Amino acid sequence: MVTQEKNPGETLESWKQIAAHLNRSERTVRRWEAAEGLPVRRREHQKQDTVFAFSYEIDEWNRRRIRKQLRPAQITPELESPRSDQAPSGSGAGKSPVGNSYLAEHDAITRTIDLYIAGGRAGQGDLMRPAFHPEATIAGYCFGVEYSGSIEHLFRWINENGPAPKIEPRFARIEIFETIAIVHLEVQGWSGKLAGPNARISEVFTLLQRDGEWLITQKTFHWHQS
Amino acid sequence: MALSKYATEYDDIVKTMQMYIDAGRQGKSQVMRPAFHPGASFFGYVGENLAAGLPFLFDWIDKNGPAPDIQPRFVSVDVLESIAVVRLEVDGWSGAISGSGVRMSDIFTLLKTPEGWRIIQKAFHWHA
Repeated sequence: MVTQEKNPGETLESWKQIAAHLNRSERTVRRWEAAEGLPVRRREHQKQDTVFAFSYEIDEWNRRRIRKQLRPAQITPELESPRSDQAPSGSGAGKSPVGNSYLAEHDAITRTIDLYIAGGRAGQGDLMRPAFHPEATIAGYCFGVEYSGSIEHLFRWINENGPAPKIEPRFARIEIFETIAIVHLEVQGWSGKLAGPNARISEVFTLLQRDGEWLITQKTFHWHQS
Repeated sequence: MALSKYATEYDDIVKTMQMYIDAGRQGKSQVMRPAFHPGASFFGYVGENLAAGLPFLFDWIDKNGPAPDIQPRFVSVDVLESIAVVRLEVDGWSGAISGSGVRMSDIFTLLKTPEGWRIIQKAFHWHA
């Protein structure tokens, strides 16, 4: 990932703003900086705590953190070491999946979808947010009502629905065409305040690849009436 | 899904897709507009730049002008009840913007609305 070329975007100007951005306490984000490398910057003049951070760096770090939690055994080297981010994707040698570009792309896609599943299971929209492109959309019908529009609808629904601990997701299909991909996910056992006790959903995600990272640009779904 | 049901849905989906193909061929976005859901989105990279939003697509089609030699192929048409995925390969794009002999891989997702199948997203890979 050639982060140097990215537009820095929003700048967070204090511990308070960084904490709010991550939806955590100031204490937690200070600990993350000290112990886990949260990318907080300091201004040259050495006044105490004149910190700032670029929101895209914080977001990127947060995505890595969540992925580590999800799949500790399957972290690829590029996610652990910022240095190897500079290498073009698929150029890694050796036994890791990174050595095979199809496997690397396939794994990157399932990691992204796993964030979605983890968010659904926990009932936390913010947990799945890093899996989506900022302009992603949702489309489909639920009980005859059309849901189409910003992906924020989904995050709100997930929060309102609450935990769905018994979700059983199955990858019915993953197809990759260069920089675009389709994932067909069959999910059963979705429960919660809005889903009811045991819902089944067919979901089709389209994803777009950028700098070795896949983000969902759309979720379409068919809600199966029981 | 029973075969006869699939065949009906397939034909309706292809009819919707044909509006997209015809519009590209003629270089007239108005021909494809009815094929799209009002909330449809459009995504892909052209080189380093993200091209997004339906207005971008319509504008591109109009400014690109006619592409009389496009060769579209339906790679797959998958129907999942009220949603569908169409993989389209189009070779031979030409025009003021695209240049000649350009190939594009498309993924369309469609939603079955009361008015018929409508494209809800086009994601593309531009073969540079």
